[in-house]
Amino acid sequence: MNSTTRAPVAPRVTYERIYVWQWGVRAFHWINAAAISVLFATGLYIADPFLSANGEAYDVFVMARIRQIHFAAAFVFAVAFVWRMYFFWFGNRYARSGFPAVWKRKWWSDLVRQATDYLTLNVGHGHLGHNALAGLAYTLFVIGLGWCQILTGFALYSESNPGGFWDGLVGWVIPLCGGSLRTHMAHHLFAWGFVVFAIVHVYIVLLDSRQYRNGLIGSMITGFKFKPVERRDDDGAKP
Amino acid sequence: MATSVGTRPTTWDLLRTHGFERRDFLRFCAITTAAMGLDASFIPQVAHAFETKPRLPVLWLHGLECTCCSESFIRSSHPIAQDVILNMISLDYDETLQAAAGEQVEEIRRKMIAEHPGEYVLAVEGNAPTKDGGVYCTIAGETFEKVLLETAEHAKFVIAWGSCASNGCVQAASPNPTGAKPIHELVHGKPIVKVPGCPPIAEVMTGLLAHVLTFDRLPELDRVGRPKMFYGQRIHDKCYRRAFFDAGQFVERWDDDGARKGWCLYKMGCRGPTTYNSCSTIKWNGGVSFPIGSGHGCIGCSEANFWDDGPFYARLATTRLPGVETTPQAIGKVAATAAALGAAAHLVSFGAKQVLSRDTDKGSNHPDNPQR
Repeated sequence: MNSTTRAPVAPRVTYERIYVWQWGVRAFHWINAAAISVLFATGLYIADPFLSANGEAYDVFVMARIRQIHFAAAFVFAVAFVWRMYFFWFGNRYARSGFPAVWKRKWWSDLVRQATDYLTLNVGHGHLGHNALAGLAYTLFVIGLGWCQILTGFALYSESNPGGFWDGLVGWVIPLCGGSLRTHMAHHLFAWGFVVFAIVHVYIVLLDSRQYRNGLIGSMITGFKFKPVERRDDDGAKP
Repeated sequence: MATSVGTRPTTWDLLRTHGFERRDFLRFCAITTAAMGLDASFIPQVAHAFETKPRLPVLWLHGLECTCCSESFIRSSHPIAQDVILNMISLDYDETLQAAAGEQVEEIRRKMIAEHPGEYVLAVEGNAPTKDGGVYCTIAGETFEKVLLETAEHAKFVIAWGSCASNGCVQAASPNPTGAKPIHELVHGKPIVKVPGCPPIAEVMTGLLAHVLTFDRLPELDRVGRPKMFYGQRIHDKCYRRAFFDAGQFVERWDDDGARKGWCLYKMGCRGPTTYNSCSTIKWNGGVSFPIGSGHGCIGCSEANFWDDGPFYARLATTRLPGVETTPQAIGKVAATAAALGAAAHLVSFGAKQVLSRDTDKGSNHPDNPQR
């Protein structure tokens, strides 16, 4: 290698702009993030009503309003959940990327590779959709916990109207959990799973978007990710 | 069914021999109808039942329990227990209330099982210990478990009085040293109606018996086998302090201003929001009051596992998870902190490695790994 005669050449990389996240997926992401934030904040208040309302009871309606907001956000969360399920089945291929296809060797190898890269602090390789580890995390923490919260949450909601629609639909959850109190406890515990998820999720998104330079953060707004395209130098050598 | 015990007197027969008039009888029927929560149009049906149906034979067993159900039952005001016992049902066996004793009453029980199979009702107060061959509760030299199963086999249906029989209650609470089991875990293949509570409300107990006698069948039951007419709603939803809950006005200490004003006891650990019972509507002692009405939170005595589900004076968020000596909130905070620390540790290590490897050829944006 004749390094003395050649000036160091910066890698010449151009990027291909690829439409990855469909509008429905992007809308879900932000609606879901907002709904979870509202649900968690109001949920904390319902569990421990730290505000003390002054005056006569007919003048104030604090707990009832906070619960109302919680229920409204819960309906938004549930509808968004169904909405995202539609895109899982009928969206583009990135909408279901990374899903734990445990029967496929390819998914397992990607999972091990991605986990190893994170643990050994390697830059690793980017993905256009979700990598296998991300897919696993979304399945456990968003889909799994989401179902847990929807089922326990609507079961608790149904208690105020015994024999009603929600009681018929999800009332069976309460005896399954071992009674109303234990259903409440489960609902509280699962809620913290979303906090753990949010912390790790934001960190990994910031990290990956830094290491892969693929426009990860912006992609959830615009839908486009960037894929580096290798270019050869004028003299035909790889950069 | 009614024909085979046709020789037994009906309620009306019995009242007449006691010198009651028709008017008294109809008044009794009206009160009973109201106690069951039925429309006035049902009064003729109730009267007809009391006139024509022989009194319901009931065998009332006492297992591992404190007799608080019986104590509650005899304080029933509408219809009063005396009417129930003397007129509506034929209480043929009850260790607490019977005058006879010893071999005589055991003979009555055996005779009833042998001569009227499928016609008597088995009411069970308490539950059966199963550990060490069931020696922790024996009656007339036999284990209660054996007596229970023997009597249940030919019963028309089984009433599980109280939390002991319905859910296990205190003797089945962790660590359950005698292996006590509620009735539904021991008796199979019989309709079982659960009447939980420690004790159940007297009017709920007599109301259930009146319903059974009038309609000759169990009332509509919920998912866990409780009569919907009494256990269909949470105490919270009919609580007279509910307005303070919705307003966000809570008692914070037992001696604070909110406690004096009768605010909601939610933060003092009231189990009203998780307990299904009629305490806030029927109330206790003939409608005098109920725990929340006396300024104390509900302890959820009619719910399963109420002894094991944390302290009575703590709100859910501060209640320990059953079997786990910590709260959901504490677990969540630890997990969230661990996640944040993990992310921070990764960030620092990753940054350090990037800085250290800056001298080498590999840049962070080098496309040496083609994307898929």
